[in-house]
Amino acid sequence: MDYATSLYLTGAEIGLSISGLVLLLVSAWGGARVTRLVTILAAAALFGAAIFTGHLFTELSVPAAGDAFGGLYRADDFSSFAKILIYLAVIACLMITPKYLAANGIYRSEYPILLLFGAVGMSMMVSAVDLITLYIGLELSSLSSYVLASFARDDVRSSEAGLKYFILGALASGILLYGMSLIYGFAGTTDYAAIRLAFIGGIETGALFGIVFVLAGLAFKIAAVPFHMWTPDVYEGAPTPVTAFFASAPKVAAVAILMRIALEPFADHVDSWRQIVVFAALASIVVGALGAIGQDSLKRLLAYSSINNVGFILIGLATATQLGTSAMMTYLVIYVVMTLGSFTALLMLRAEDGRPFETFSDIAGLATRKPAIAWCLLLLMFSLAGIPPLFGFWAKFVVFRAAVEADLIALAAIGIAASVIGAFYYLKFVKVMFFDEAEGSVVKTSPIGQWIVLILAGIIVSPLGYFLNGLLDAWSSDAAASLFYLV
Amino acid sequence: MVDLSQYLPILLFLFIALGLSVAFVFLPMGVSRLTGAHQPTAEKLSEYECGFPAFEDSRGQFDVRFYLVAILFIVFDLEAAFLFPWAVSLDLTGWAGWTTMMIFLAELAVGLAYAWKVGALEWE
Repeated sequence: MDYATSLYLTGAEIGLSISGLVLLLVSAWGGARVTRLVTILAAAALFGAAIFTGHLFTELSVPAAGDAFGGLYRADDFSSFAKILIYLAVIACLMITPKYLAANGIYRSEYPILLLFGAVGMSMMVSAVDLITLYIGLELSSLSSYVLASFARDDVRSSEAGLKYFILGALASGILLYGMSLIYGFAGTTDYAAIRLAFIGGIETGALFGIVFVLAGLAFKIAAVPFHMWTPDVYEGAPTPVTAFFASAPKVAAVAILMRIALEPFADHVDSWRQIVVFAALASIVVGALGAIGQDSLKRLLAYSSINNVGFILIGLATATQLGTSAMMTYLVIYVVMTLGSFTALLMLRAEDGRPFETFSDIAGLATRKPAIAWCLLLLMFSLAGIPPLFGFWAKFVVFRAAVEADLIALAAIGIAASVIGAFYYLKFVKVMFFDEAEGSVVKTSPIGQWIVLILAGIIVSPLGYFLNGLLDAWSSDAAASLFYLV
Repeated sequence: MVDLSQYLPILLFLFIALGLSVAFVFLPMGVSRLTGAHQPTAEKLSEYECGFPAFEDSRGQFDVRFYLVAILFIVFDLEAAFLFPWAVSLDLTGWAGWTTMMIFLAELAVGLAYAWKVGALEWE
């Protein structure tokens, strides 16, 4: 084993881990004074990691890149793509957070550090080519998430969200581990490539159960139906910046490991997992669309919206083709931008007395009170609904195109039909903001960091986003190609 | 065929241990019954007072500091569980194994320093 290469390939994670540990000590000794400094340094560390990963992305021109630490970890274009997306999403979360937490008196320096450790865990997840590495990364990011969910520890709803997330997350980890143990029992190895070799002649029923359990555990983590029930409660209870984080970076990581585990060790047995993925995709789209209709809480509504979006992403996985995988990567990028934008807008909507806007009656007539935020939200909601010419339409288009080319026409047709149901509540959002009578409360001014994220998100989802198309397409197909390199 | 006679020493050891421990438990009880005054009270008959009563309403409030200490204990207990196999296999893992464990220990030390500094170890 070549340690120099291993350390070089894992440079981003090592850098982030060291910064996390150092910042932990800084925060312990500096106390409340250094909170802002720690936040900035954490964002800088993430930015550095993103730059380094970008360097790997361009340098590793061969799709099959380097394996590190004896085949436990792989740095390829797929992992680099997902990692850059994760790091940038976490940086955006750091930018929108401080004022919100400070207003609630919970702005502590542990917050950026937890995000940093969460980012390390997530990048281990997307680089894992061994079940053990996968599990370690998953637990590192999950443990940070549990603490983040209950970060407002004096708030009953936040504590409840943290506890629910912890119990269901632990259950999901248990299911996942059980599935891994079955796979290990039948394959005799935890290494992805070796698992693939072990099952080359066919797959036993026991190993099939293993796949089912692993998929169920991962479905919990990406909040796909029928394992979505925790999502609305946790998203509603957690502080809004934390919710924005949950809906973006961890979802990218969980979808990425789902892709890798489905398309690397079990690439020869697509038929054994395709039905499950198709079911989860359709159920997520329908439940996400129908569940959101009755919601009055905006955060719950966005939680259902994220369930809905996961369904569309899974359609790409159901194709099991390179085109489908590339479509998923494109969808993930656009989804993260739309989600972060929507939650940032929600964060910025606070009454003059500091009370956050939570229901539809709060945002009635927002267009006259805060036109800039209202117009950005209009763009984001239309984009989430998939209305052309906004960028969200392109995301859905590439996924459906991949499904049609993989002869999954029925799946694509049902998905398109169900996306019309989803359009209802996105349009309701816009209708309430623009056509309902405004009620008393005034909106507080927002800090510059939130404006930057909101406006960037608005620009990317607007038709201007199509200028990014060439780059995004090239990068997505590079990332997808590296998953299929061994085929 | 396993030669059972080679297990005789451990059998003897177990018998002696059993006999001694029975004696340690019952001898003081008997001696105190014979020599001292026998006046049982509710407090004396209750379980050894450590922690909290074993059977009570599960919704009772409970100081979170117990959990904090328990978590810290588990972390360092597991550290010991890691150290043992590491120590006996160091000739196989070599410098790589040594460095890895030192990194792990340094990380735990950072965690301990943090917990110490923020006051997680202080009871009051």
